[in-house]
Amino acid sequence: MYRIWLLFDPRRALVALSAFLFVLALIIHFILLSTDRFNWLEGHPSKTGQIEMVVPTSFG
Amino acid sequence: MADIEGRSSLSGLTEAEAQEFHSLFVGSFIIFTIIAIVAHFLVWTWRPWIPGPKGYALLDGATSLAHHAFSVLS
Repeated sequence: MYRIWLLFDPRRALVALSAFLFVLALIIHFILLSTDRFNWLEGHPSKTGQIEMVVPTSFG
Repeated sequence: MADIEGRSSLSGLTEAEAQEFHSLFVGSFIIFTIIAIVAHFLVWTWRPWIPGPKGYALLDGATSLAHHAFSVLS
């Protein structure tokens, strides 16, 4: 497996990998910030699913 | 650069250098992965990101309880 570094220049591979991971992390963080549930700065209380409840108007 | 057998590699590294870099690379990758797993675990405990069939219905139990109470009352 280490022979991969005979093919690919480690310096370029490291730069490319770190750039890719950084951009990916940036995208994921911004996507999460744009959502309601996973925005950790606004801190909305977590939403539950739609709760349907039929309230009877007359008993008996 | 040529290795022991006189061949040159595309990246210019020798076998020994490639092995040395590879051990460093694998070690860094493992540390990165462990940190990522811990982060994912913490976020999952905060707010899981896979909703059930009814969406993020955390109060399903309370809802069914309320339904039951109403049906008993009516």
